[in-house]
Amino acid sequence: MGLLIAIVVGCVLGLIFGINAPIIPYTYSGYLAIAIVAALDSVFGGITSVLNKKFDMKIFVSGFFGNAILSILLTYLGEKLNVDIYLAAIVVFVGRMFTNLSIIRRYYIDKWSQKKQEKEDENKQKTV
Amino acid sequence: MNKKYVMLTIGIMCFLLTVGICIQVKTISNTNTTGISKNATENKLRDEVLRWKERYDNAYKQLGETENILEEERKKATEDNEETTQMKDELNKINKLLGLTDVKGEGIILIVDDNKDADSNILDQNAAVVHDGDLIEIVNILKNGGAEAISINDQRVVSTTAITCDGSVVRINGEKVGAPFEIKAIGSQERIKGVLEMPYNYIYWMGADGIDITIRKVNSIEIPKYEGIIKREYLKDR
Repeated sequence: MGLLIAIVVGCVLGLIFGINAPIIPYTYSGYLAIAIVAALDSVFGGITSVLNKKFDMKIFVSGFFGNAILSILLTYLGEKLNVDIYLAAIVVFVGRMFTNLSIIRRYYIDKWSQKKQEKEDENKQKTV
Repeated sequence: MNKKYVMLTIGIMCFLLTVGICIQVKTISNTNTTGISKNATENKLRDEVLRWKERYDNAYKQLGETENILEEERKKATEDNEETTQMKDELNKINKLLGLTDVKGEGIILIVDDNKDADSNILDQNAAVVHDGDLIEIVNILKNGGAEAISINDQRVVSTTAITCDGSVVRINGEKVGAPFEIKAIGSQERIKGVLEMPYNYIYWMGADGIDITIRKVNSIEIPKYEGIIKREYLKDR
């Protein structure tokens, strides 16, 4: 529950902040886009690891910034080499995002069905 | 493990992420990419255009700032000397005459647009469109009416200005401008209006062709300065 609140509060605050933030030059918007995808991947990874109780702060924070910076650098390199390297980064990040999302989904569905099962068991006991 | 810190970190990350997304969305929606093209080369070209435009804007802003500094330096240098003050005034006056300063004053705003309801069966399709020649004629009429400063879609008309045809658009000072044309002229409202409405003049016949012309008297018009450089490579004193 606390996780959900943290995410919602963070997102709402970010929205308020972001709407009032200045825009960046168009030249850099491509880099920001790839950094956003990398950060999104890290956040999903973080949520998954919290659910799996394997959360490590150092790994999470370093992954959040490290991935974003690395993907920006790769995009820059790709631009210099005239190869769309950022596509590879997007494939990796989005692929991982799907994996993480499926883990999160499975976790909550399992929890939900467990609760349902318990309730049914209780009802049966009462009737008996 | 301290659960609070975990939540806090994830909250902060979400915050950063949302800020990034907001900035990105705002940036993209601010750069007017008209329509979505499926053509990769077209996308790339548009990207390039946007980048160059940004660079141009930056350089132009820098130029403006530098000019301000120069102006200030000039002011400082001429502060206590009467002769140089006079020279500075002279310089300002000349710049104004050349069209190198932003000016404002009373005058007329003309809006000239293509004949949008033209029947596709009309004999002369060209008559429904505003051409470079039409603009030249209008500028000539305005000058005849004593206009002291003229701009077309914010392109200042100066002594070196050329108005030429460039396919579907018109080039003024080397910059592309398209219909509708907003022609601003500073000068005596009565005189300019008089020459514009002279019977059977060029504008009358443009109107007869269905070109959409509106003439408006405005008490305070702002006309931007000429943004180019007036070269004098071949000019020599006699």
